[in-house]
Amino acid sequence: MKLSVAENWVEAPLKQFVDEARVQLAVLLNPSGQVLGQFGFASSVDVMTACALAAATTASSGELGRLVDGRPFAGLHYAGKVRQIFLGQVPMGAGTLILLTVFDEESSLGLVQVFFAELCVALAGVVQPDAPTTPALAEDFERELNRNLSVMFGRS
Amino acid sequence: MSLVNYAAREITCKIVYYGPGRSGKTTNLHYIYGQVPGDRKGQMVSLATQTDRTLFFDFLPLDLGIISGFTTRFQLYTVPGQVYYQTTRRLVLQGADGVVFVADSQARQLDENVESMQDLHANLAEHGVDARTVPLVIQYNKQDLPADLILTVPELEEQLNFRGVPSFAADALHGPGVFETLRAVSEQVLRKLSTGGGG
Amino acid sequence: MSSPFTALLQSLIRHRGVTGCMVVGEGDGMIVDSSLQIGVNGDAFAALTASLYRKARRAAAAAGFGETGFFELDADGGRMCAAGRNDLVIVVIAEPRVNVGLLRVEMLQALESFA
Repeated sequence: MKLSVAENWVEAPLKQFVDEARVQLAVLLNPSGQVLGQFGFASSVDVMTACALAAATTASSGELGRLVDGRPFAGLHYAGKVRQIFLGQVPMGAGTLILLTVFDEESSLGLVQVFFAELCVALAGVVQPDAPTTPALAEDFERELNRNLSVMFGRS
Repeated sequence: MSLVNYAAREITCKIVYYGPGRSGKTTNLHYIYGQVPGDRKGQMVSLATQTDRTLFFDFLPLDLGIISGFTTRFQLYTVPGQVYYQTTRRLVLQGADGVVFVADSQARQLDENVESMQDLHANLAEHGVDARTVPLVIQYNKQDLPADLILTVPELEEQLNFRGVPSFAADALHGPGVFETLRAVSEQVLRKLSTGGGG
Repeated sequence: MSSPFTALLQSLIRHRGVTGCMVVGEGDGMIVDSSLQIGVNGDAFAALTASLYRKARRAAAAAGFGETGFFELDADGGRMCAAGRNDLVIVVIAEPRVNVGLLRVEMLQALESFA
């Protein structure tokens, strides 16, 4: 199973986490629900869906935490019969990231928590490169956009 | 905040369908989901109440294919329109690259439309975003209803489109205007990105 | 706050050379109760030891050795002992000088109360 990243600086810490914690799926995302790196998902759209739900769960449990405890919950664990889900927030210099991971009996909540703590430390120490400022798209991207949208809507 | 991976040449953008309750935001996504081929879409997720009112959001991931050499993906979200889901709307709006405001063309819904537009601006401000900088498209939905029940597009424009953003008459249930709306917001989002204004 | 394991842990920690002892969930690697000297990272130790114990137990079962009663790991700087029953593992961290025989007897006796 291959690790894929949208941001290169998350690759090494995420790989270390996956290798050490022996998890089946792991995805690192921002609070808007956009994936920064993932391991174990076969389809990109599945990752997006998982991220949307993970961001929503984090946001809603955070609000719930504020309501009942005065501060957001830092993590969430769901123990299924076979697979378990762990959702944790990674504090970064500016804001937070979210880790969603799925594991089975090859790992344990304790292991995931231990290596999640290490992941947090590793990510906090990473220097994020400045985003490129050059325009990303060609000036005539509208033509390709229209063509692709037409294909999507069966109008080609 | 759009995510651009220059190394892998991938772009991911978040588009939020905003508007008052029952204006047709979820219907837009359902129509899009029904039209898009299976290999270009993911599963549509709806976190809804038992009466099919959106509780948290609807979500539809789309793979637009390659644009200017970049694999381009859009994440379409709706917000719950009902007034009491204010916190949820603000959460879903976080990091939006573009917004589609779905207005209900029925005359009796005008106040709700205006209120929802004000709510949109207030929530963007809460996120520290200047609403004038966010790609926005307005859709006047339900224009298929009898003329005596709805306001005309010029009447709605006067009440809602003070920024002069692209707007479209639509019948989201049957499709007219849905594609045009998505095309317009996609173009605006990508144009902003191409000029270096994206997240 | 005391737990059903407080007396057991207090007894184990009194052994000469023992620096920490814990009752850990075998499945989740979480600490149920512990008595640790300052400087021992209990959470990491519990999670890793529970994982190691679980794998050792499964390996022994796969090899047809039956139930694993006691598990010991010797390193230059210290010793680690584990004994488990019913998804609970007693874990002891100790210096090399510890009397493992005595420790083993007490841990196995304590397991009887986990039945």
